Amino acid sequence: MPPTITPHQHLELYRSMVLTRAVETAIERSHRAGRISGSFHSSLGQESCAAGVCAALRSTDAVTSNHRGHGHALAKGVTADAVLAELYKKTHGTSGGRGASMHLHDRSVGFYGETAIVGGGIPWAAGVAWAKKRAGTDDIAVSFGGDGAFANGVFGESLRLAKFWEAPCLFVCENNGWAHSMPVEKMFGPPGSITAMVRAMGIQAEHVDGRDVRAVHECASELVQYIRREGRPAFLECVVYRVRAHSINDADYRYRPKDDGRQWLDANDPIEASRRELDRALPGRAAEVDREIDEIVRRAVERAEAGRTPTPADAFKTVYASEGLEWHGSVEVR
Amino acid sequence: MAVLKFAEAIRAALDHEMAEDPSVVLMGEEVGALGGVFTVTKGLIDKYGPERVMDSPIAEGALAGFAAGAATEGMRPVVEIMFSDFVMLAMDQLINFAAKIHYMSNGQFSVPAVVRLPGGAGTNHGPQHSQALESWFAQTPGLVVAMPSTPSDAYWMMRESIRLDDPVMFFENKNLYFTAGEDVDFTEGPRGMRAAVRREGADLTVVSAGRMSGMCLEAAATLEESGYSCEVVDMRYLWPLDLETVAASVKKTSKLAVVYEAVQYGGWGSEIAAWAARELFTDLDGPVHRVGAHRVPIPVGVSLEEAVIPTPATIHASLLELAKF
Repeated sequence: MPPTITPHQHLELYRSMVLTRAVETAIERSHRAGRISGSFHSSLGQESCAAGVCAALRSTDAVTSNHRGHGHALAKGVTADAVLAELYKKTHGTSGGRGASMHLHDRSVGFYGETAIVGGGIPWAAGVAWAKKRAGTDDIAVSFGGDGAFANGVFGESLRLAKFWEAPCLFVCENNGWAHSMPVEKMFGPPGSITAMVRAMGIQAEHVDGRDVRAVHECASELVQYIRREGRPAFLECVVYRVRAHSINDADYRYRPKDDGRQWLDANDPIEASRRELDRALPGRAAEVDREIDEIVRRAVERAEAGRTPTPADAFKTVYASEGLEWHGSVEVR
Repeated sequence: MAVLKFAEAIRAALDHEMAEDPSVVLMGEEVGALGGVFTVTKGLIDKYGPERVMDSPIAEGALAGFAAGAATEGMRPVVEIMFSDFVMLAMDQLINFAAKIHYMSNGQFSVPAVVRLPGGAGTNHGPQHSQALESWFAQTPGLVVAMPSTPSDAYWMMRESIRLDDPVMFFENKNLYFTAGEDVDFTEGPRGMRAAVRREGADLTVVSAGRMSGMCLEAAATLEESGYSCEVVDMRYLWPLDLETVAASVKKTSKLAVVYEAVQYGGWGSEIAAWAARELFTDLDGPVHRVGAHRVPIPVGVSLEEAVIPTPATIHASLLELAKF
């Protein structure tokens, strides 16, 4: 079925993808310059999945994510300011500068957040979805995970519970070809194999070519409508590619050709595909978006650089939510 | 006021909280139609329906995450893990998610959930159904660890736990479920997560929790026959830990023993012993004694089981030695 979305809708999807590309490129630069440290897992080349799915959601829908979640956060509406500040471990970051790359959370836009344990965010989304339905809304929850997560026991269990208790949850599998050094074809088979497994559980499941953000968006929109209407879970396998190494410190040349990601990107970049299409439909608009995003990200990096670092006392805050549990285990007897 | 056994007291607490707060739901294997393998949730499905008393597939990992996730959205789930040993299947979600999401999100999400954990030896269920795992959880920031020893405490601590905005690991010793009932006052009870002095004494202090509190009372009564007066402190919560009450008791008696069913090595009682060795150094007239389980799996059969975990006799022997010091 040919895409039916309008060029202006396409431009918004493009904007979302470019924002993630620009933020993650800025993170790479800052990392190499030694301005930030710690873990960083790039979603470069697979921005279409986050952009296409999140554009089908409301701000009151919830998203849980994984360690490769900057794109999910940005596509759901978290600002570049908040993401970059968190990467710089500054107090105006999404988590007050205590979590960095794998711990982005912004409830105000429905980005419930990342979890750094593979598969860990999947049951969270199912529980949130169930609670939202129980509260009488038709809001839904979405969990993003990679193909690696779908080997995890908690994924199968979460599907079982979501089906059994009819949780309106969309389980998104970003099949990017690699679970760290494990090729997905070796683990599961060709694209669509995970979808077939989920279908066999009696759950509505589709797979889509992630190189076309419009196709992702249309497929996600149909599933989201199904979930809202039926109050039941669904599954989407988005076939993308992990262009970068597993993480910024990963020696991926040990398990795949050194230029593997770059070669894929040169031939398949979803952002380039959209730009070519938009340059025909809306001449000059894509370049305009590029400039706007560059400026937004440049300023966000400046503010992150200038931001305040948490004080040691901040490490002891919000361990507990209840009053009176601030004690950390040392009692001196007077 | 009603005379209730331990299991009935927990059921009453669940019932009363569910009646008052529609966000309280029960989830777990066999909690609905069967009413729980230890009858704790018996009859609640008839009163509140399967929408609130939810029989779960055997999927502890996702169940813990699902419940904690629902809690971040404002529900107050009470999850039953049939035997506390099965909590290992849920550990990632409990430790890496439920315990930490409030912290990781800088306070944006909280998990007001209770995980009920029937645990402990004494029922001949063997190594995978008899462990005392509370020390692990007491070590984990973000969790509250409750361990009641009486029906009245079971009732009031469950109500307090459900109302907390943090995840509570609620350890219920299986041996206590059906022992003699006691009057439970539904209108007023202990609040505030403090320890309780179960028996006043002058010569030594023994600190414990859960099923071991009863054993300590038994040992203290036997010790009385030898002329020693033993104070028995029941910690009630292993986190937060009410060390002020322990300090006040030791300042009076000058001797301290800690008794716990968990493995003695590195257990929560060791923490109290180490703390006392420094903070109460000048108050102590003898070494701090520890009586915990040997570091071996829990076998079946009374002769083997009692060789491994504390008993009134081994507790008494330790207390007598300390009293004579």
